[in-house]
Amino acid sequence: MTVHNIRHADSRHGDASDGAVGGRLSRVDGPAKITGAAKYAFEQQLDGLAHAVMVEATIAAGTVRAIDTRAAETTPGVLLVLTPDTIMEIKGASDWLGNPPTQKTYSPLARTVTYSGQHIAAVVAETFEQAVAAAALIEVSYDETPAIVDLSDPKAGDGIPIDAMTKEWGDAEAAFAAAPVRICAAYNTQREYQAAMEPHGLIARWQGEELTIWEPSQWLDGMARTYAEWFGVPFENVRLVSPYIGGGFGSKALALAHSAVAAASAKMLGRPVKLVLTRPQNFTSYGGRAATRQTVTIGAGRDGKIQSIVHRGVNETAVDGMWVEPLASVTSIMYATPNFSSKQNVVRVNTVVPGAKRAPGENPSAFGIECAIDELAHEVGIDPLEIRLRNYAEQDPEAKKAWSTRQLREAFASGAERFGWSKRSPKPRSMRDGHQLIGWGVAAGTYPVRRAYGEAIVRILADGSVEVESSSIDMGQGTYTILAQTAAETVGVAADDVVVKLGDSRYARAGVAGGSRLAGVMTGAVYKAATSALDQLVGLAISDPRSPFHALQANTLVVANGRLRSPRGDGPDVSIAELLASVGRDRIEAAGDTMPANSTAEDRYKNYTTIATSIPHTEGNYSRHSWCAHFIEVRVDEDFGTVRVSRVVSALDSGRLYNPKLAESQWKGGIIMGIGQALLEEGIVDRRHGRIVNNNLADYLVPTNADIPDIEVISVGIPDLHSSVLGGKGVGELAIVGVAPAIANAVFHATGKRVRDLPITLEKLI
Amino acid sequence: MRDFSYVRANSIEAARKAAALPGAMLLAGGTTLVDLAKCGVAQPETVVDITHLKGLDTISVDASHATLGALAKMSHVADHAGIKSHFPAVSEALWQAASAQLRNMATVGGNLMQRTRCPYFRDPSNFSACNKREPGSGCSAIGGVTRGHAVLGTSQACIAMYPGDLATALVAFDATVHLGQRVLKVDDFFLLPGDTPEREHDIRAGEMITAIEIPGSAAARRSTYLKVRDRQSYEFAAARAAVGLELEADGRTIRDLRVALGGVATKPWRARAVEEALKGKVLDEDTVRKASGLAMEGAVDHGANHYKIELAPRVVARAILKLGETA
Amino acid sequence: MTSQTTIHLTINGRDHSLNVEPRVTLLDALRDRLDLTGTKKGCDHGQCGACTVHVDGERVLACLTLAAQVEGREITTIEGLAGADGTLDAVQAAFLEQDAFQCGYCTPGQIMSAVACIREGHANSDDEIREYMAGNLCRCGAYPNIVAAVRQAALEVVS
Repeated sequence: MTVHNIRHADSRHGDASDGAVGGRLSRVDGPAKITGAAKYAFEQQLDGLAHAVMVEATIAAGTVRAIDTRAAETTPGVLLVLTPDTIMEIKGASDWLGNPPTQKTYSPLARTVTYSGQHIAAVVAETFEQAVAAAALIEVSYDETPAIVDLSDPKAGDGIPIDAMTKEWGDAEAAFAAAPVRICAAYNTQREYQAAMEPHGLIARWQGEELTIWEPSQWLDGMARTYAEWFGVPFENVRLVSPYIGGGFGSKALALAHSAVAAASAKMLGRPVKLVLTRPQNFTSYGGRAATRQTVTIGAGRDGKIQSIVHRGVNETAVDGMWVEPLASVTSIMYATPNFSSKQNVVRVNTVVPGAKRAPGENPSAFGIECAIDELAHEVGIDPLEIRLRNYAEQDPEAKKAWSTRQLREAFASGAERFGWSKRSPKPRSMRDGHQLIGWGVAAGTYPVRRAYGEAIVRILADGSVEVESSSIDMGQGTYTILAQTAAETVGVAADDVVVKLGDSRYARAGVAGGSRLAGVMTGAVYKAATSALDQLVGLAISDPRSPFHALQANTLVVANGRLRSPRGDGPDVSIAELLASVGRDRIEAAGDTMPANSTAEDRYKNYTTIATSIPHTEGNYSRHSWCAHFIEVRVDEDFGTVRVSRVVSALDSGRLYNPKLAESQWKGGIIMGIGQALLEEGIVDRRHGRIVNNNLADYLVPTNADIPDIEVISVGIPDLHSSVLGGKGVGELAIVGVAPAIANAVFHATGKRVRDLPITLEKLI
Repeated sequence: MRDFSYVRANSIEAARKAAALPGAMLLAGGTTLVDLAKCGVAQPETVVDITHLKGLDTISVDASHATLGALAKMSHVADHAGIKSHFPAVSEALWQAASAQLRNMATVGGNLMQRTRCPYFRDPSNFSACNKREPGSGCSAIGGVTRGHAVLGTSQACIAMYPGDLATALVAFDATVHLGQRVLKVDDFFLLPGDTPEREHDIRAGEMITAIEIPGSAAARRSTYLKVRDRQSYEFAAARAAVGLELEADGRTIRDLRVALGGVATKPWRARAVEEALKGKVLDEDTVRKASGLAMEGAVDHGANHYKIELAPRVVARAILKLGETA
Repeated sequence: MTSQTTIHLTINGRDHSLNVEPRVTLLDALRDRLDLTGTKKGCDHGQCGACTVHVDGERVLACLTLAAQVEGREITTIEGLAGADGTLDAVQAAFLEQDAFQCGYCTPGQIMSAVACIREGHANSDDEIREYMAGNLCRCGAYPNIVAAVRQAALEVVS
C-alpha cells in the first residue's frame, strides 16, 4: 500500500528537452500533490489505529514529583497512559555520528525536566479527540529549580569554549590595533523555528519483531537505525516509510522522543499508534536554530582593504545536549584577509537541544560578517558592492586552496545590473517615496558542498520503461523529478517513461537529505546505476544471438527516445520493449553506487546510517562552495517603522542545475525564509517561566504571501565536476544565506539606523 | 477539547432559551469558540449552533444607516457595495481582519464576542493565573511578555488587548448592538476590565446579538481604517485607527471628526480628546500630529509594549491626514 | 459524556454518514474517518490555511468547523476539485505549470483558496492576489509562483 508509483502525467507542459538533465521539467510528483492524492507518511489508514498525544512539562527546570493519571485513565476511550514509570524499557541509541550510546537506557518521558515543553507523559485512546481530552486531565506536580532562560540570563555565564571552532592565522589582534580604520560591532540572531507546514508525527506498527514506521523523514536509514537500537531489533526489521515530506528544513532528520513513545506504545498495546505533535509542541519537541551572538571586528586600510578580522561567537545549547552552530563558517572564507582570529563558545540554557535549520552556521555567520563589511563600507565611504570586490578572496583564505568554482564576481555583476545598483544614492536616508524611506542593500552568501556516497537501483522493464529506487526522499527539493531526468537522459528514454520510487527504507539505501547534499549524491548514484543498466542493455542487444542487432556486429549502439539503433544509422531500429522481448528478458536491473571500491557491508551501513563518512568540502586540492549575492530593496515607513521588502534580485552559483525550474523555486523559498528571519521570526521567552510564549503560527510570524514581492533569481553557476558527478553544487541552503544582512544593510541605507539584532521589528525603528 | 452536546437552533427564541442554560454557548462562526475550546479555555457543556438560523444574515444599507444581521459574514459585509460607499472604514476594517477563510466563517455578531489573544489567557495548562479566565487567580501577563498588550484601559487585574477590527470602526461611528430587548451603544457594550476582567460585555443570560446598526454620517462616508502590524497581512494589529472626517465648505476646516483606536486598548477605544481638539481647526499636518498625541492620555505601558504609545498617535495622524488629502 | 451522533455530510457530491462525537471537527472527520487526507492539518487553530475547503462554495477552515455544523451543506475538498474524468481545474494546472509548491503540504489549501479567490473577484492584480491569499501560509516559500499561478488561472477562468 505504500509503494509509491508516479508516472509523469504532465506531458502537456513538457517538450523534448525536458527529460534531459538541466531541463525545466515540471514536478513529476506534482499531479499527486495538486489533487490531494499524495498520501503523506502519517496519513495512512490502518485497521485498529489508536491515537496518542503527548503531555509536556510546564516548568523549565526541576523534577517531576508525581503524575496523577487517574482521571485520564477513566476517561472514555483511553487505552494507555504512559509516564516515566509505566513506559516500557527502551535502550540507548548511538548518535548521528555513530558514537555508541552513553546511557544503557533511554527515557523519552522525563523525570528530570530541563526545559519547558519536555515530554513527561502520553495518552493513547481510541480516537484523537478522546486522547486530547484525557491528556488535559493529567495532573503533574513538580519540584522546581531555577532555570537559565536564555543567553542574556545573568546565570548563563560565558559558556564552554569549543576549541574545534577556533580558526587563526596571522596576528589578528595586532593587525587590528594597527589598522587605520576599525569596525567593531555585535550582531544577534534569535531562536528561530523551522515551522514546516506538516507537523512532526508518525504511525508505528509492530508485527512480531518487525516495526514499520510511517514518519516524515529526511533520513530513513539514520532513523531506522535509531529505532532498531532503541528496541533491540535488527536494522533490517525496521521499515521507515516517508513517501512525501511536508517540509523539513533540517528538523526531520532524527527520531525524537515522541517517536520513541509512539513506537513503544504500539508495542505495549499491540496496535498501530498514530501520534502527531500539536503545533505548540512543534516548538519544543525539537530544536530550531539556536540563538547566537557574534562580535565582528574588522581592521582595514582607508582603501577598504581588510587587514584583520577578529570574530567571537556564542550560541545557546541545551542543558543536556550539545549543539554547535558554526558561527565563523562564512567569516573565515568570504573575504581575503592576512590576519584572522575566531573563537566560539556555547552556553547551556534550559531549552530543547537546538537543531539544524536551513544553513545552520552559514546563516548567522553571514549576518555578522556581511553586516560588518557594510559598516566598513560606510565608514570608508566606498560603495558596499565595490568594497566586496576589493576584498574578493581569490582562493579559500582559510584552507589556502583554490576554489573549485566561485562565480561570486559574476553573481555581483549580473545581480547589480538587473537590480540597477549603479543608480543607488550612497547617502543613507536619501531615497524616499512619500512616507516610505527606500533602502538598497547587498550581501553575499555561501554554503559548502557537502558530499557523501550514494547508491541506487535502476531497472529497465519489459515495457521499455525505467524504474529508479532509492530510500532517499523528496521534501520539495525535487528529488523525484531530477532522478527521473537523470535516469531518462542516461538510459535514453523520455522522462515520462521513468518511475521513481523513494521514501521507503526497503529501497537502496541513502544518507541524510541535509546540507544540500542529496541532489549531488543521488544524481551521481543514479547516473552510475543507469549507465550500468544501459551497458547491460546494449551488451544484450549486441551479443545475444536472439537480438535483431546480433548480425550487425556493432561495437556499441545508441539508445534514444526509448529506441536502439546503430550509431552509423544502419541496421534495425527497435524499441527497448521489442529488444527485451526478443532476447527473452523481462527486466534489466543494475545497482550503482559511488562508494569507494572494496567498501565492506559495514562501511555501507555506516555510510547510510551516520554522517561520519561525509567527505570534507576541502578534500584534495579544492575548496568547494556554492555562492550567491542578494540585492534587496526595502521600504520603511518613517512613522511606523514597518519594513517591507519591495524588490529582490539574487544571483546564485549552484554549479550546474539539474532542473532550473525547481532550483529557482528552492532559491526563492530560501530567500523568503530569510525575509522572515530578518523581519519577523523570533521565539519569545517568558523569562519567569523559561517558556516560549509565541509557540504557534499566529504569534510566531512567518511571511505570508502579502509580505513577499516578486523575486528575480539568476543562475550564474557553471558545471563543477570537483563537487559532484554531474557538476551541481548545493541549492537548498544557499539562498537563505545573506538575505538577513542584505535587508539589515538596506534598512540602514533607508533610515540611517543600524539594527544589529534580528528581527528588525518596528519598535527598533520608531 | 471536552466533549459537549450539540443543539441546532431553529429559531431565535429557541437559541436564546438554549443559550440561557448553564454551560451553554452559542456557535456562530466558530472561529473563537472552537479555537478556545481546543485551547481548553472555553469548556461548553452544550454548543448551540445558530449558523442555520434564517434571516439573521441580511445587510441593508442606505445613506442614513446600515443594519447588519448578527450572522452576516465578515466577508460579505466587507464586500457589500453599500458598506464600501457609505462606511468605507467598516469595509476596510473587515477585509484587513484575519484571513479570507476566517472572514467567510466569522459573523459580525460573533466578532463582537471575540476574546483576547493574550498568550497567557490562551494557555491554561502552562499559565494558571489569569483573572479573565479564573477570577482572582492573578495576571500572568503583568511582568511577562507584554509586547502585544494594552496600554489604555488596563487595570491591576488585566492588561489584555482587545483584538477585533470591526468594533474599532463601529465605536467611531456610534454604532449600536441589538440584544433582543435592549439596544446598547457598541462603546457601552464593551466593558473595561477593572476588577472583573472576566466580564467583557454587557450581555445577560438569555440575550443574543441579533443585529448591529450604524448611523450614516458625512464622517462615516469619508472614513478610513489604518492597520499597522509587523506582518503585512493575517495578523493582529500593533496599532490601528478608524477615522471619519467631515470638512466645512471651505474644504480645510474640520466640522466633524471621529477617531477610534485599537491594538492598544482593552476595549475598542474612542479617542474623543483628539476629536474635540481638532473640531473647528484647520486641517494641517502639525495640528493633526499634535492633537493625535491626546489619544494616549492615561496610557500605561508594561515594558515591551511601550512602543504602542509612540506608534498609535502616528497611526491616528496618518489616517486623518490621508482623509484630508482625499478631498 | 461521550455522545456519538450520526451525521450526514455531502462531500464532493457524495453522501457520507458517520458516527461521531459533536466535538469532532470537519477536518478530523475528513482525515481520520473518511480517508479524505488531501485536506491538511497544519496548526489546528485557524492560523495557517492548510485545511481550507469549500462549504456551499465559499472557502472556510475545516479545523475550526464542527462536522455536525455543516450537515446539510455542500462540502468540496481538494479531492473533488478535478472533473470526474480527471480533468484538472485551471488552478490545479496552473499550480503545476508555475511550480507553485514544493513540499506540497499547504498546496491543497492553497488551491482551494485560490479557486475561491478567483470566484470572489479578488484576483484582479498581483497585490490583491497576495492579500487575499495571505491566509494560506507556505513555508517552502512558493509565494511568487502561487501569485503567478493564480494570475494565470484567473485569466483562463475569465476567458
